[in-house]
Amino acid sequence: MIGNDIVDLQQAAKDSNWQRPRFLDKVFTKEEQKLISNSEDKHQMVWLLWSMKEAAYKVNVQQFEKRFFNPKRLVCKLFSFEKGMVSIDNESYFTSSEITEDYVYTVATLNEEKKYKTHCFKMEQTDFKLQSQFLKKQLLTTVAKIENYNIKELMIKKTEVGVPQLFNNFEKLLTSFSLTHCGRYSGFVYL
Amino acid sequence: MKKEELLAKLKTIVKPYIQDEEAYTKLSEETDFINDLKINSANLVDVILDVEDEFDIRIENDDMEKMVSVKAAMAIVNEKLAAK
Repeated sequence: MIGNDIVDLQQAAKDSNWQRPRFLDKVFTKEEQKLISNSEDKHQMVWLLWSMKEAAYKVNVQQFEKRFFNPKRLVCKLFSFEKGMVSIDNESYFTSSEITEDYVYTVATLNEEKKYKTHCFKMEQTDFKLQSQFLKKQLLTTVAKIENYNIKELMIKKTEVGVPQLFNNFEKLLTSFSLTHCGRYSGFVYL
Repeated sequence: MKKEELLAKLKTIVKPYIQDEEAYTKLSEETDFINDLKINSANLVDVILDVEDEFDIRIENDDMEKMVSVKAAMAIVNEKLAAK
């Protein structure tokens, strides 16, 4: 199982004010808040930890099919800027992040998986529906090409808890994948 | 607080964060913040903080955990108001 999350740093600065009272306390543990306050680029650290939590959450929902909103319960540990781990209850997820000036992008996996395929890209179009269509098409095109499917037979459907699943000619595929977008950036990953 | 009044207040609170206008116009108790209104999850934190400010209540993380829909949010707000 696999999950991903991207944060457009410019968009996040516009959309969210993590400096507002009580924001950090709702989202981050004391240890994580220390990481943020000790960090040279606090904005980047806030969204790096956030993307780790989100990506790990997406794997957790696939596993247990139960939604919840409590980012603080997902506890981040950083081994380096790019490598980390997120724990919740008795589960742990490995995270691998890409950090640029423009975005942070994290992929979370159950095992220390290296074989996944991931791709992020920039879009000028920021309309939510068009972005979502484009992103799905990017994923389907890649899967069709690599796994030798006819793209016309491929379809994405969401489960009741919002986990997207892939179907080929109405038959469910075991491919685990995840989609994310934020502002100008989108990304997909699949295993 | 009366259902309609609470629903109207919540509708005003979520407005700045929604990304699906159509779902917003049809907002009801059954509306899901993320799946229907496409509120990004970071902004869901803002929704919760705005709810706290508007009703002068504090929502613990255990309660916040369930707040993925309008219905759940209404239940939690009413519970907190009753405990005041």
